[in-house]
Amino acid sequence: MKKLTLLLFIFSISFISQAQTADEILSNYFENIGGLENLKNIEGVKMSTTVNQMGMEFPVEIIQLKDGKQMSTVKFQGKEIKQGVFDGEILWGHNFRTMKPEKSDAETTANFKLEANDFMDPFINYKDKGYTVELLGKETIDGADTYKIKLVKEPVTVDGNQEESVNYYFFDTENYIPIAVQSEIKSGPEKGKVSEIMFSDYQEVDGIYFPFSIKQGVKDGQSVAITINSIELNPSVDASMFIFPEEETSTEGK
Amino acid sequence: MKKINFLFLSLFGFFGFITNAQEEITLSGKELFGDLKARHIGPALMSGRINDLETHPTNERIIYIGSAGGGVWKSNDAGTTFNPIFDDYCQSIGAVTLDPNDPDNTIYVGTGETWTRNSVSIGDGLYKSTDGGANWKKIGLENSERIANIIINPKNSKEIYVAVLGALWGDSEERGIYKSNDGGETWNRILYINPKTGCADMAMDSSDPNILYASMWEFRRTGWSFESGGPNSALYKSTDAGKTWNKIHNGFPEGRLGRLAIAVAPSNPKVLYTVIEAEKNERKGLYRSDDAGASWKQLNNDFGITVRPFYFSRIVIDPKNPDVLVKGGLNGSISRDGGKTFKDLGNMHSDIHDIAFSINNSDIMYVGTDGGLYRSWNGGTTMEIVEDLPLSQFYHISVDDAEPYNVYGGLQDNGSWSGPSSSPGGIQARDWNALGGGDGFRVLKHPTKNIIYSEMQGAENVWRYDVDNKRVKTIQPLPTEKYSKLRFNWNAPMAVSIHKPDRFYMGSQYLHRSENMGDTWQVISPDLTTNDPKKQDQENSGGLSMDNSGAENHTTIFTIAESPLDENIIWVGTDDGNVQVTTDGGKTWTNTVMNITRLPQNTWCYHIEASTFDKGTAYAAFDGHTMNDMNPYAYKTTDYGKTWTNIITDDVKGFVRNIQEDYVNPDLLFLGTEFGLYITVDGGKHWSKFTNNMPSVAVHFIDLHKKTNDLVMGTHGRGVIIIDDISPLREINQENLNKNLHFFTSSPTVIHEEGSFGGSFGTETQFVGANPSRAAQIKYYLKKRHTFGKMTMEIQDMNGKVISTLEPGKAKGINIVNWNYRLKQPKVAKGKTFSFGGFTTPTAEAGTYKVVITKGKDTYEQNVELVYDLKSKLTEQDRKQKHQTTMKMYDMTQELAYMVYELDAILEKAETTKNKKLASSLNKLKESLVITTGDNYVGAAEPQLREKMADLYAKIAGSYDKPSDTELESLATIEKRFDTAKKEYEKIKKKVKFLDQLELKSFEDFIAE
Repeated sequence: MKKLTLLLFIFSISFISQAQTADEILSNYFENIGGLENLKNIEGVKMSTTVNQMGMEFPVEIIQLKDGKQMSTVKFQGKEIKQGVFDGEILWGHNFRTMKPEKSDAETTANFKLEANDFMDPFINYKDKGYTVELLGKETIDGADTYKIKLVKEPVTVDGNQEESVNYYFFDTENYIPIAVQSEIKSGPEKGKVSEIMFSDYQEVDGIYFPFSIKQGVKDGQSVAITINSIELNPSVDASMFIFPEEETSTEGK
Repeated sequence: MKKINFLFLSLFGFFGFITNAQEEITLSGKELFGDLKARHIGPALMSGRINDLETHPTNERIIYIGSAGGGVWKSNDAGTTFNPIFDDYCQSIGAVTLDPNDPDNTIYVGTGETWTRNSVSIGDGLYKSTDGGANWKKIGLENSERIANIIINPKNSKEIYVAVLGALWGDSEERGIYKSNDGGETWNRILYINPKTGCADMAMDSSDPNILYASMWEFRRTGWSFESGGPNSALYKSTDAGKTWNKIHNGFPEGRLGRLAIAVAPSNPKVLYTVIEAEKNERKGLYRSDDAGASWKQLNNDFGITVRPFYFSRIVIDPKNPDVLVKGGLNGSISRDGGKTFKDLGNMHSDIHDIAFSINNSDIMYVGTDGGLYRSWNGGTTMEIVEDLPLSQFYHISVDDAEPYNVYGGLQDNGSWSGPSSSPGGIQARDWNALGGGDGFRVLKHPTKNIIYSEMQGAENVWRYDVDNKRVKTIQPLPTEKYSKLRFNWNAPMAVSIHKPDRFYMGSQYLHRSENMGDTWQVISPDLTTNDPKKQDQENSGGLSMDNSGAENHTTIFTIAESPLDENIIWVGTDDGNVQVTTDGGKTWTNTVMNITRLPQNTWCYHIEASTFDKGTAYAAFDGHTMNDMNPYAYKTTDYGKTWTNIITDDVKGFVRNIQEDYVNPDLLFLGTEFGLYITVDGGKHWSKFTNNMPSVAVHFIDLHKKTNDLVMGTHGRGVIIIDDISPLREINQENLNKNLHFFTSSPTVIHEEGSFGGSFGTETQFVGANPSRAAQIKYYLKKRHTFGKMTMEIQDMNGKVISTLEPGKAKGINIVNWNYRLKQPKVAKGKTFSFGGFTTPTAEAGTYKVVITKGKDTYEQNVELVYDLKSKLTEQDRKQKHQTTMKMYDMTQELAYMVYELDAILEKAETTKNKKLASSLNKLKESLVITTGDNYVGAAEPQLREKMADLYAKIAGSYDKPSDTELESLATIEKRFDTAKKEYEKIKKKVKFLDQLELKSFEDFIAE
């Protein structure tokens, strides 16, 4: 924190009365959360979280690896239910009723695969990935002044048609840290509404700042709070956990 | 914000004081209001007026609507569902246009409705989005007031033409056709006639973008008249991209013209249609040209074609067939023989303003009406309403004291209604009840009886509805010998009295009072208006088409306010600018408006709010827009109108229609303007716009519900919008704003135990209004947004035991955290499947709980109180029994969970060490404890002890009632079976020699993990 405050002080002097560009904001951001190189060196994260919904609390473990593999594991009544498991090709999760693994539809999987190069932060090497960023101006979010940055990533496929993938990031003008991300919901019953993710409780883990509190939902609608209890960097993970268990469905299929 | 701070600093600096005082904090709306969010309850079942439709040129599923007062909405599913995309800006829309070369991203919105009825709103310019509506930029024409069309050259997106109809209520030079050659960065006016004549319609040749057509219309409205037509109305053509324009009147009627429509057939640009408003009735109607405007032939002048040109003038031609066309009108008319004959469109809400054919199939049509959007699958024969557009236009609302309270109000062309502020599953279309026909305005509930008053335009009918006995009678005051002519406003005022429940007021030019619910009327004032005869000539209103609907009735009373502190003090405001007060129940009246300085003469007094704090105090809101004066006006008096103080600042945008005083903090005021809601916490020194889920919609009426502190708004375009419990705003003052964290006073929360079968049948594609939260709400102000470090919130009992952990709000400003007063779900034994009963969370007992916020090193504490519903018949003893039984089963469930955990650990070891006998006896026991086969749906296995226990626990915990004898008997059976199982388990466990090798967790650790 101290390091950060000092940094901020320096930034506030050096950037005073200068127009900000998106790249300057991003460079401040990376510097402030622990350095771009350090971020790039991370191979994976394992987060132990608690999801609080309607008074019920559930432990959820989230693993994300640099190569795009990821998985969330929810524990209900001692049973593990996996959701959003991606092995690099197949996206799958357990059906809540049968507790058997099922594959996501092809379009969702294809769109998910596009995110594989966004590990740790989509802004890392964004130019190399063909992304574009644009500073749209300032906006007040959660009562705080922010810079609004538009990030355009690889186009996604929606109901068979290609559509632009746009996210709006809101960087706190004081710390250059994102406190919100908004994007249009592209499919499902909420299609056309705006999804909003809020970040707070940034804390340091091995020199990198992570938001330990994430609120995810529909703008001006319902949201779910995810509290992160601990983060492990570069965890040792058995890659086989991500693989879709083909056998099980083919022998036990209905 | 910066400006204000600077002002303060310089003021303080000037006087040289305040050196050690805390810095004054003034927060803008977005910095202050935080989690205080507006909630929309609709209704959408009668929807509201739509001005313009726009289809995507290549994707038939994408449709946009521009509504008269409710903004811009986009559908991705051919009109089945819609989302608003323009909430932050002026909600009165004239035209929506997509760039044909970039239709997914580039959208233009011209604000300002163009069907110029009396209640029409105003626009504030032209907007552009280049990202599909996510972000908008105003690109000029700020004073255009209303934009009729936007056309983009399909061969060059930079070239844009905008038809500006312009100001309705006065002269303006920002009219005619504007052109940009640089995508909207700069504009040139390329066709202008005079300050009274605007462009009503514009079209481009479908094959040659240099050919344009424009209809110019001379028109003017005042508060008491409308005039359509004049020597300057004309139809023009340009063949050089707007450089030169020529009239194309060959075959037109002689004399003055009114509003003209123009349409070019997309499939044959030589075919044009126009609808002409002319001097002679027989020369009005539809004209067609087959030579691109060189000559015209009159084809039809049926009622459907000539009716009310200012309101219905659009012609839409089938994109595939130049002989199929639709004309907007009272019912809408379709011709399939090139305009010779017409038939009405299918049954739907009347007043059709725009029509769109689906791009690939002309049998699919969309129709925008005064009652929302309709869709046809069979060429306009049958029409279905889109149920997802809450565009209702309220003139007025009121509330009652029921629980949940109801909201009453009247709608433009859609009658009068009431609907609940809360309903199981959300507020659905079926929750709304009709309470009157015609145009609806004020609807008031009798203060004590189940009787509702409602009215239609001009008080033609005022209804008294005896709800219990389903009896309706009309009770409007009638002319008498002495008062032979009564002038009622289109939106005639009525009022009830809290002092005398059967008392009922109506205002014509006189104030009428009845002491028996409208059966007998007494006039208790002289003519309180200016009685200016120049403003009473409605018979001759309309211009070329007479239009005496009553909408222009003027020199009438518009607002009545009886003081809540003294029945003899009555305030009356008139549409011609008088503010009259009586302090003796109507014997004598004083006009106080001349005591208001700087208010232009005859400015419409839209609302008077009599203070609940002091008899001499009142607020008056004035709306000058019908005199072409768009400035906001609101004043306060504390001496019965002898002096008035301006309480408006530069913060306020849009003319004012309503003001509401808080019941607790006299400095807390709410202002309804044409562009949204403004709030002051310092008596009008600063105003903040409220934008949390609150569109920039015209707020016509505001009421504050006394019991719930809910701010209820009747908007003219987005239905009823509620801000639940505004009480935190009462505590916004310098002292609290300077604290790092300030807890707002919380009132006890009633534990909700009502149940019902809401059901959501049919709501998949229907707008459903949001319910208020039932949770205990923890409300606090944060001086700064929390971004770094841990911030947590716990609910503890008074002994410090943690009951629940919640995610605290982190926003600068007001935070609201919902606690649904539930304990965590119990830990449930692991089986093959889930025990769904085990997901039940028990309700906390009534009592006081402690909220503890930890933020860095600081902790902040406040108590919250839960109380039982007074309507409940349970005794304290019953409550205790219910809670104890629930918790007993909760504990049993966890005890079983731990037992199964231990058993599983022993079993695993037994199996790995091939101790078959032990494994077999453990397996046998386990099979009776938990389900070991099947799935969570139709493959479910026979329930075992865990399931039986959890299901009974869920049944008892989930009931409002104390446990029944049957439940207790069942509990005894389960307990007995559990005891037997425990004994059996202990017997097996005793024989296990390797227990200490297993490193079993303690019960506490197991539960806590």
